[in-house]
Amino acid sequence: MDFQLSTYYPIFLFVILIVGLAVSILIAAHVIGPRRKTPVKEMPYESGMDPIGSAKQRFDIKFYLIAILFLVFDVELLFLYPWAVSGYELFKGEAERLQTPIFWELLVFLVTLAVAYLYAWRRGVFKWR
Amino acid sequence: MNSETVSALINIFPWIIPECVLGFFACVLFLGGTWRTNRHLWGAVALGGLFAAAVAQLLTPLPSFQTKEAAWAALFAGPVWLDRMAVLLKMVTILGGGVLVLFSWDEVSDEHAAEYHGCLLPLVAGTCFPASANDLVTLFLALELISIPTYILLYLVRTDDAGKEAAVKYFLLSVFSSALLLFGFSYLYGLSGTTNLQGIADALSPRDRVDEALPGMALVAVVMVVAGLGFKITAVPFHFYAPDVYQGTSTGAAALLAFIPKLAGFVALIRLLGLMPFELPDIDRRPLLASQVSTLLWIIAAVTMTLGNVLALLQDNVKRLLAYSSVAHAGYMLIGLSVAPYLIVRTVPGGLSTVGTDAVLFYLVSYGAMTIGAFAVLEYLSTRDRPVETVDDLAGLSKSHPGVALLMALFMFSLIGLPATAGFIGKFLLFVGAFSVPSSPGAETVLSDPPNLFRLLALIGVLNAAIGGWYYLRIIAVMYLRTPLQPLAKPRVSPRLVAVWICAAVTLLFGLYPRPLVDRSQAAVVNKVEVAPGPKAMSNAPD
Repeated sequence: MDFQLSTYYPIFLFVILIVGLAVSILIAAHVIGPRRKTPVKEMPYESGMDPIGSAKQRFDIKFYLIAILFLVFDVELLFLYPWAVSGYELFKGEAERLQTPIFWELLVFLVTLAVAYLYAWRRGVFKWR
Repeated sequence: MNSETVSALINIFPWIIPECVLGFFACVLFLGGTWRTNRHLWGAVALGGLFAAAVAQLLTPLPSFQTKEAAWAALFAGPVWLDRMAVLLKMVTILGGGVLVLFSWDEVSDEHAAEYHGCLLPLVAGTCFPASANDLVTLFLALELISIPTYILLYLVRTDDAGKEAAVKYFLLSVFSSALLLFGFSYLYGLSGTTNLQGIADALSPRDRVDEALPGMALVAVVMVVAGLGFKITAVPFHFYAPDVYQGTSTGAAALLAFIPKLAGFVALIRLLGLMPFELPDIDRRPLLASQVSTLLWIIAAVTMTLGNVLALLQDNVKRLLAYSSVAHAGYMLIGLSVAPYLIVRTVPGGLSTVGTDAVLFYLVSYGAMTIGAFAVLEYLSTRDRPVETVDDLAGLSKSHPGVALLMALFMFSLIGLPATAGFIGKFLLFVGAFSVPSSPGAETVLSDPPNLFRLLALIGVLNAAIGGWYYLRIIAVMYLRTPLQPLAKPRVSPRLVAVWICAAVTLLFGLYPRPLVDRSQAAVVNKVEVAPGPKAMSNAPD
């Protein structure tokens, strides 16, 4: 396919929109946001940790559980996107017969994930004790 | 995508039903374990799952194709393939899984039983897969499906310092070996442009000449793949985790580690290196880098069996001893792989003529039975207050437990390779393979034959079997000739005893009547496609 700049106009629009949104939010926060300075608020943000001091800290084990759960659902999304995009569009002609197995495969995958979620739930991962 | 390819992709689903059944039961175990904690219940559910998978496997027919095009599409496009080797390996794995469930029935606590068996079932499913994998991606996925539950299992059963060390050691080294394997896979893909195993074999096996003209990159790929799988089969120099891990973890997990990864590793090597005779119409194929692979495996085999046996001589802990013995047995099995590139181009397996790989399959089964059996005896005799750890703990066993001592002696005799046991037949077939490589170049061969190298390898193997005899006989001598230092507790009747009995039955049966298994392994290693054109196929056959 020949290169045509007009194909990429939506992307340029998208980039302009994103940059514009980010800049306007920053400016708006600067202009209309209230300012109450406390030592904690002045600190550089580092996901809730003290930014200065030893990096060798002990973390609560619950953070790891949450991180793993996050990863599970993150990977799930990674898997669902290609399916949603190309599972039906690209399979034309003879390959249309593949659509049904692909649909059921994805369902099996989602059910397995649901089982894992239920397991974590029953084991009390979400109780934050 | 043409219609044959689409059909091929759809038709693979029935072939993975046993694995899906195992996955379903694993989900049931994990979820159910959060409601009920009872090791008898979950052990029974796990056995039920394995039984259902075995039934599903028995009901799945081997594929047969109407046209050659359909067969080709299935072979060159499908990620999964079902042939006799896959069927044999799946049945062996499922049976082995059943024995392992019985083995650890009383070893796991009520609290952890569901999760333990829940990890065991995906592990069995993962071991079923390498046998039928037809694609690098499927193969890697299968090997990870074995590794990841193993990490959990190792930590689940024992959480003291030794157990933690074992789990972490195994985890780190296993991840490292996976990385090596992936590195090799990436080179294979880069060289051939496909992830399909048949496609790779086709791209990398020049028809007219065999050993030249392949870039050194192919060699790098093969070395990396052998290294990555060498960890799984505990080949030297990737063996050193085995004694520490076996000693540190529970006996059941040690038996599992001694059997399951080896099975998967050897099958993956056979598939990847194409060490199977080929009976496909229109395709003339040679094993990948035949003479280099053979030399590489020759060296690893010689070093592995020698080092394993010599180091086993020094051990006092029975689990460490069995770990080194499993290293040595991996060395024996590598003999079969090493001779295969020379034999598969000229021999059809059958009767006494072996191609090496079929001997490996037979040996894997008999090795599994005798090693799991030996571990199961240790576990059966151990109690919480009185674990059986060292060789001295077995002293005088013939007086306190004559029956168990006899079974242990049977496993030891089989590990030595004495006649009337499966270990003898296995070693015999391997050595026959090593002696069938002709030392003078034949007219019909493409490979130039090595001067007596494989007779030397067989000689090293025989010497090693003699060295091995020393430490196995030492256990028997301790059991029969010495008096107990401290009497062992009277063990209760438990499913563990059933595991011991099954292993003993397999060891004896295939020692006395090896024919069925020999026939099946010989049929299994031939890569073959059934093309049976029916009347319907004639009408729509493309011209």
